[in-house]
Formats: sequence, structure tokens, C-alpha cells
Amino acid sequence: MKHVLATAAALCAAACLTAGSALAAGTLTIGMTAGDLPQTTGNPDQGFEGYRFVGYNLYDSLVLWDLSQGDKAADIKPGLATEWHIDEGDNKRWIFTLRQGVKWHDGCPFTADDVVWNLGYSSNEKAPQFNPAQFAQARPYLGTYAGVEKVDDHTVAFITKVPDSLFPYEISYVLMISPCRAKEVNNNWTEYALHPSGTGPYKFDKTVAHQRLEMVPNADYWDKARVPKQDRLVLVPMPEASTRTAALLSGEVNWIEAPSPDAIDRLKSSGMQIVTKIYPHNWSYQLNFVKGPFTDKRVRQAANYALNRADMKDLLNGLMLEETSTVTPSAAYYGHPKIYDYDPAKAKALLKEANCLPCKVKFAISTSGSGQMQPLPMNELAKSQLDAAGFEVTLDTMDWNALLKLGREGAEEHPDTHAINISRAMQDPFNALIRHVWTGAWAPKGANWGHFSNPEIDKLVADILGEFDTAKRLALLTKLNEAMNEEAALIFVAHDLNPRAMSPKVKGFVQAQSWFQDLTPVSITP
Amino acid sequence: MIFYILRRILYAVPIALGVSVVCFSLVYIAPGDPLQTVMPPDATAETIEIVKHAYGFDKPIPVQYLIWLGRLATGDMGMSISTRRPVFLEVTDALANTSLLALFAVPIAFSLGYAIGVVAGCFPGRWIDRVVTGTAVIGVSLPNYWLGIVLVIVFAVEYMLLPATGMGPTGSTGFRILEWSSAKYLILPVITLAMIPIGILARTTRAAVAEVRNQDFVQTLRAKGLSEGAVIRHVLKNSLPQVMAVMGLQFGYLLGGSILVETVFTWPGSGFLLSKAIINRDVPVLQGTILTLSLVFVATNLVVDLLQSLVDPRIRRG
Amino acid sequence: MTDIAAIDRPLDTFDEQAAPATRVRGYWRSVLYRLRHDPVTLFFAAIVLLVVLAAIFAPLIAPFDPYKESVVGRLKPLGWRGHLFGTDELGRDMLSRLIYGGRVSLLMGVVPVLIASIVGGLLGVVGGFAGGRINTAIMRTMDVFYAFPSVLLAVAVAGAMGGGITNGMLALTLVFIPPMCRVAETATTQIRMLDYIEAARATGAGTVTVIRYHVLGNVLGPVFVYASSLVSVSILLASGLSFLGLGVRPPTADWGLMLSTLRQSIYVVPIVCALPGAVIFVSSVSFNLVSDGLRAAMDVRL
Repeated sequence: MKHVLATAAALCAAACLTAGSALAAGTLTIGMTAGDLPQTTGNPDQGFEGYRFVGYNLYDSLVLWDLSQGDKAADIKPGLATEWHIDEGDNKRWIFTLRQGVKWHDGCPFTADDVVWNLGYSSNEKAPQFNPAQFAQARPYLGTYAGVEKVDDHTVAFITKVPDSLFPYEISYVLMISPCRAKEVNNNWTEYALHPSGTGPYKFDKTVAHQRLEMVPNADYWDKARVPKQDRLVLVPMPEASTRTAALLSGEVNWIEAPSPDAIDRLKSSGMQIVTKIYPHNWSYQLNFVKGPFTDKRVRQAANYALNRADMKDLLNGLMLEETSTVTPSAAYYGHPKIYDYDPAKAKALLKEANCLPCKVKFAISTSGSGQMQPLPMNELAKSQLDAAGFEVTLDTMDWNALLKLGREGAEEHPDTHAINISRAMQDPFNALIRHVWTGAWAPKGANWGHFSNPEIDKLVADILGEFDTAKRLALLTKLNEAMNEEAALIFVAHDLNPRAMSPKVKGFVQAQSWFQDLTPVSITP
Repeated sequence: MIFYILRRILYAVPIALGVSVVCFSLVYIAPGDPLQTVMPPDATAETIEIVKHAYGFDKPIPVQYLIWLGRLATGDMGMSISTRRPVFLEVTDALANTSLLALFAVPIAFSLGYAIGVVAGCFPGRWIDRVVTGTAVIGVSLPNYWLGIVLVIVFAVEYMLLPATGMGPTGSTGFRILEWSSAKYLILPVITLAMIPIGILARTTRAAVAEVRNQDFVQTLRAKGLSEGAVIRHVLKNSLPQVMAVMGLQFGYLLGGSILVETVFTWPGSGFLLSKAIINRDVPVLQGTILTLSLVFVATNLVVDLLQSLVDPRIRRG
Repeated sequence: MTDIAAIDRPLDTFDEQAAPATRVRGYWRSVLYRLRHDPVTLFFAAIVLLVVLAAIFAPLIAPFDPYKESVVGRLKPLGWRGHLFGTDELGRDMLSRLIYGGRVSLLMGVVPVLIASIVGGLLGVVGGFAGGRINTAIMRTMDVFYAFPSVLLAVAVAGAMGGGITNGMLALTLVFIPPMCRVAETATTQIRMLDYIEAARATGAGTVTVIRYHVLGNVLGPVFVYASSLVSVSILLASGLSFLGLGVRPPTADWGLMLSTLRQSIYVVPIVCALPGAVIFVSSVSFNLVSDGLRAAMDVRL
């Protein structure tokens, strides 16, 4: 055997030399969970993984996320805008001062006109550069956006439909692409995708459709501290967890996202580094407030008491944080929410009180999906725990797209479904809290699937959106989070720990408490 | 005969049309939205309507079919929703990668399957026949995706001899069959893929050879005093058409790509493209891929039919 | 599950040696005689019987509740605390799940074949006997579905309809009808042309009588043998659908689904994770060999 191995190794060594630098020093090759390569035409698809690896690498937004440390939840920081403030005379007008001296990868300078052009690209059906695919991606973040105007060459003003103190968070998801390059390719987005030009820390190098996307450092990046330390960044889509594990172990990639919890020990035994960090993600059940048992607060609380989250953690080999509230305790607006510790007796008592015993409920779940962790075993465990406390759960299993569709249509359309299990990103206050409970975000317009509505909470949300003082707004947000826990607005289950595995040669990575990560400091020792 | 061939080719036209209808309608039964991939999970129904309109998915289905068919006639299969690449390009790229697997799997499977089938067929009932038939049964009974997983664990993960997935560090564009650095990515998928055709061919060949050996003319040849080698040559010649027909079908299957094997190895071929299109509800890609693969298959079926009618003119179809 | 043998177009089913008359009564006796003297077939028939009985009497013989979870007892090796075959990723008893899994897997192996045999067989006999336009109409329609590689069609249909046991079975049925129809049609066509049918007609026998005594008698054999060979294909295809997430829905115990979910845990308890694949393999081999035995014993060539 040894002999065979040696021969094979020699053969490979010889071949690798001729084949060029497959994994030469400094190439970071990442096995992504995405089913395909994300779009390169601005706002990427493939969820936040697309933003993480393609979006924020090729492109910048006016507002970026500070991913330089991992001790506290990541917040926004200046990006292509250096500063922003609300117009003193008009609380529906945000003024953004743009960064000077920034150049697109194609050499054109970045100006206020480019910002206006980009908003047309992603949200104005009448503009010649309008791209429906981009519209679909940007739309969820532009719910309050009404228009943009150039003030001078380095200043733009955004108009919102209603006062929106959280607008800077939302604009952080709208990436800026080069109008220069768009002009060169005559607004042909298929062509643009092969020659993308942004202002980001990486430049596009080449791609093989569905297989790999390669980027190289942008040595002229405006933030000198973030010029990439590796020679090349390669992205490979690998939706199967076991495939990613095998690829890392056999040396085809040196970084994988989300290894299966059961593969962690095997990876460690081969010397792989496993990094985990809490981040604004939750895996919970959104409930039906229109019809069914969960319209009763006691039933909602009972479900929260019935869950043994420590067992769930064991199931995941320790790779989760027990969820106590919609946001993680490290969030600035966590506060002191009511905690539902495991107490099946109390759960049963509450169900009895609510006159729902056994309490028959149907959960819509998916077989897989971005951020869904291990949906099948986790849901099966949750079901058995809820059943033990007096519920009678039926799992309605469907594929990911079908669940998203169901989630989008809202509870009114699905009176027989009492809860949906769609994991959500809680990156910013709107997405973390408001969209779950605000009447203004009722499905199908927004993500309030179950049509939760409570006048006090709506008032609180209006106050938050109209409060431009950061500290005061924080206090209001804290109050909202506590109110959501009191209402048991969701069944809280788990926060993902975002495990990643990388080869021992990967150095310098700092995992931020965010869906996004900064790859620029990573280097690979030969 | 020429008239018959022409007639058969003409018959293939309505079949192709039927295939196109099935392809087109199949994807519309699908739950979920055809524009799913371009939509973020949080997209609202209002957003979807606007985008649907922009993509032309709000038109009535028969109208969409005619538009699609019309474009098809000019060789335009539309654009992939998720990648915005022309479907034609997507399908041909994938087909090229699958053909690469087939290029190796076909000769291996055909020669091996045929050889062991002949050996078994020449000694029906003997121990060698038993062994060979047993092996062939394993080939057709093995869940090949399971075999693929096991091979990856053993050869890629534990012994690190061969790569686990994909087409190598440059992807399909820089794939060089003649260089080990590329060729090594072929080994495991080809072995996995060849398993079933080997089994099928061995079984078919064995049956065909054994059957021909039982026919009267073989006795006559022997009675005429022909050597056993010459007799076998006659037997093989007579059993070949039947074997070739099965080869044709297997060839078609291998070109169609195996969804499961390509999924296990993340091989960017037509099966992989198709499964991705199903998951993403990428309607144009789904339609284009199924259509292309089916048309390849229609052609293969046609050839098989013609071959069959050559063997036995009584079962001409139509 | 790819490109399985039996899905191939059954070749010229009958040649000039096609049985010249209805099987005589002694035929079934000789079939039984041949089967009894075929130890290989008998052995694998015993395995098939075992699997079938285990599935039918699953509640009686399964040592544990196949749905009882235990997080502390997850992914345990063979023999752990009375779990002969270990436990799965949720701590459920593997042996019990494999026994229960046989129910779904066999269901998906047999039901589509059964329905396809009836539907496809009837269509084939009608087409073959009627000939002419009716034959053309039936066989052209079949050709449309024939034009899809079997796996492709199964995956596309199951995927389009959203998966699940019922949709999976429906997809498989659709896949099996055309080849089944062709087997029946070919057999019927060839028999129809033989002299003795003409003779029977000439003696004044009605169409129904001719079909009943002469055609069915000669078509049932091939259809039955071909159907028996499809069972293993159906099991493999169904497990493949489940593997792709288009078949059985969790938490239902099913071999293909178990194979798929345990794939993630293969580094923890490799042997346990390999079991579902092994069970699929063994059943598939058994069904195949029994089918081969039947074919030989019934002297049917496909």
C-alpha cells in the first residue's frame, strides 16, 4: 500500500507541476454551501452566502459592515459613503457624503451620478439600465425607498416614503456596480456577469459556469488595510455537506462552510481548524396568528416551555446556541426578556388552561435550505419534545422553495398550517425584530407570515423608525425585543454557530459575529 | 427498406413534438415559483409579480409554449433564470462534460460487459457462468450512488489517492484528458457509472449468446465439421445485433448523464444540471435539458428500431 | 438507480420459436418442477420472502419503536444496549427502522410495477391485437414517454409533482407503463400473426375467445416475468428518488431516505451508515435473481 501511495504521490507531484499552480501558495479555495455560483451583476443571489463571498468582495455599498473583530455583534461602518445624516428640515431625506478618490476596477472614478444610476439599475422599471433580476434582489431592502437625487458630485440624498431611521442598514445591502462597464457591454447583463467591475477589495478574474469563480486582490483598494493578503480567492459551490467534508479532507479546497456536525471529530483528527461564532441567525417557528391554537398566547408560551434546547444542542454536537429570544444575547438590544426555560409540566398546565390538550398543530418544514441547519432531525426532535408536553405535532415536509412560497403567501392563505420553520437572518434591527411583528410587514407584503398585530407594538415600531438618535432608538429596540418575548411571538429554538472548517495552512481569519465575513486578512502558508 | 427508414424518421417528428409538450407542461405542474432562484427568501408577492412580468411568465401557458417553440425553431432555448446564460450554452457545456464521462465509461462497460457475457454464454450452467452471472447481477442491483459514496470515502478521504469531487483545479475549461492532474478526477465517477451498463450488457450478451447456441443452425454447423472456434464466431455474429441494440440504449443513457452519480461527484454534467434546475425551478434550463436529452434518446430509439427491423423484419413498427 | 437493465427495451420477445399454442396444463407443473430444482432461485426467493414477511409483520418483530428518539443514544455502533444494528442520527433503533423501512420500499417496489403491468399490459394487448391505427396511436403515445430516459422521467415527474410517496409511485408507474406495454404488444403482435390464431378464427372462435385463450395465455408469461424483473428496478429507483429528496418524506422510515440522511454521519459510525445501502442491495439482488429463475423456469425470453 505504502508503495502505491508513494508512486501516486510522485505521479501527482509531477503532474501538478505541469498543470500549473493548482493550490499554489496563497490560493484560498472555499467550498460554499450554495447550489450554484452567486450572480456577479451586483446584488448576488444565493442568500447572504452570495453577499459574503461575492457581493462584498467584488463590490461595496455606501454603508459596509465592520467585520474586523469577533467580540461583539458586527455593526455598520462607512463604505463608499464616509458619513450620513438625516436632513434637519425633512425626516424623510437622508444625506450621504460620498468617499472621494475611489476608482472602479475599470478605472473610472466613482461619483454621485453612479449612485443615482445604480438605484435606477435595481429599482426603476423605466430606466434603460433596469435589471429585473437585480430588482428582485434589492427590493426587500428598499421597502421605504422613494427616490434618490444628486446634491453635488460627492453628495446624494435618499428620499424615503416614511421616516426611516434604519435606512443606512437597508442601503448596506444595495451594492454599487460600475456604470462605465455597463456602458461598455451595452447593458447586456449576461456579458456584464463575465466582466464585472466594482470597487471592492477583489477583482474578478475568471469563472467556469456552475463550477468555480476566481478573484484576485485589488491592490488599489481604497481601504489599504483591507487589501487581500492571499494571491487568489476561488469559490466552489458544494451544496452537499458530505461532499464539502470529503473535498476538504482530500485537499481539493482549504476552507469549507458549514461542515456537518457529525463530521467535526473526523475533521479535527485530520488537523483541520474548526471555527464557530454566534451570529445573528435564528432557527425558530413563526406562528399563525390568524387561525388555530397559536392565536392563544398561553399555547405559544407552552410551546416555548416544552422545548428542551439542551438536547437539541447535543443533537447538533454542540454546534448551536440555545435560543432565548429572537436575537442573540450579544445583540445590543437584547435587554432582559422573559426566558422560557425547559419546563414540560408548566407547558402542559398552560395547554390545559388554554383548553388545548392534546393540542393539534401542523408545522411546515423543509428538507434542506440555506440557514436551515439540519432541518429534518431538528424538527423531528422538536416534534417529539412538543408531543411529550401535550402537543400533537404534524410535520408537513416540503422542499425549500415550496416552503418559501408558503412563507411568502402568509397565514391567511394557509389556515391549516400553524407554524413555519424558515430560519431568518437578523442582521439589522428591521430584519431581526420589526418584520416579524409589524402590521406594516404582513405577508404577502412583508415577512410577518402569521399576521401578528398588536397596536402597542405597532406604535413602538413607528417610534423606532422615527427616532434618529441612536441611543434613544436602542432603548426602544430593547423594549420591542422584550415585548416580543412576553408575547411569545415565535417558538424560539436555536441560533446557529456558523461552523467553518479550514486547513491548518489557513491563517489570519477573524470570525465576525455576522452573516458576512472579511476574507482579506487570510493568508495561506505553503 | 429505404422507404421504411424514411417513414420511421417521419414518425419521429410527432414524437419529438409530443416530447416538447411533455417537457413544457411538466415544469408547470411544479409547486414553487419558476422565478424562485432570482428571488431572495424575503421577496414579497408584489415584487414577484413585477419580475414575472419582466420575464414574460405572466402570459397564458399555451402562449408561452408557442413562443418557446417558435424560438426553439431558431435554436434559441431562452435564458437560464438563475445564471442569465443562454440555455443552449448551459446544455451544451453540460453535455460535453457528461460525454467526457461517457467517453470512458462506454468503452469500459461495453468491452467488459460484452467479454464476460460471451464467456458466460459459451458455458451456460458451468461454474464460470454462475460466477459471471452473479457479478452481473451485482452490477445491476447496486445502488450506484451508494457505491460512489463508498468509493469517495475509501479512495479520496482515507487513502487520499484520488480526488473526491468536481473536475479539478481549473474546472471543465482547463480539463486535459491526457494529463493525470485532470484525468484522475475521472476515475471514480467513471467506475461508478460503468457498473450498471457492465451488468446489463453481460446479462444481455449471455442470454443472446446462449440463445443462439441453442438454435438449429449451430448444430448444423457442428455437424458440418466446423471447429468450435468457427462455430463460436458464427454464434457471436448472430447474437451481435441484439447486443448492439442494448448497447445503443445504454449509450443513450450514459449520454443523458446519471443524475445520482453526477450529484454524488459534483460532476457538472447534464444530470447535475437537471437536478439543479429542478431544485431551483429554473424552467428554461429544465425544459432545454430534458428536451435535448430526450431528442438524443429519440434518435437512439430510432436507430434501435431500425436495427431490430433489420434482424426481424416482422416486427417493423408503424 | 440509473439506467437499469430491465428498463431497457425488452428485445424481440418472441422469435420464430414462439409457443405455438396455449400452454398446456403440464406447463405449470414443469415450471414448478424446474423451480424446485434451482437452489439459487430458491435461496433468494427465501430472502425475498423473509423481507416481505418482515415488512408485513414489522410491528410484531421490530425490537423497538422505529420513531422513538433518544439524543443521548444517537449514532451508536452495532450491538449497543440491545440495538443489534446500532442507532441512527436521532438515536432510533436501526434494525427496527430497517424492518419498517421495508414496508415503504417494498410498497414502492411493487405497487408501481403492478399498476404498470395492468395498464401497460392491457394497452399492449389491445394495440397488438387490434393492429393498424389503434396500435399506432397507442404505441406512438408510448414512444413519447419512451423518449425520456427512465431516470430522467422519474426524477422530472416526481420533482414536478413535489415528491412524496404517492407522487413517487405515480412517477415510477409512468416510467414502467411504456416498456410493459411494449412487451405485451410485441408478444401479442407475434402471436396474432401465427397460423394457429388464423386457424382458431377460421373455426369461428370470437375475438374475445381468441384473446382470452390464445393471446393472454401467451402474453401473461412474458408480462409476469418482465414485471418481476422490474420490482428490483423500482426499489432502486425509489431509493434514488428518496436520496435526491424527491421520494419518501421524513420521518417515515425508508431505505433510500435513511441512506441519504446517514450519509452525513458516515465518519461517526461507518458500518451503521452503510446498512441501508446494503439492505437495498441485498433485496435488489434477491428480486433480480428470483426473476431470473422465474424466467428460466417459465422458458420466457425477454
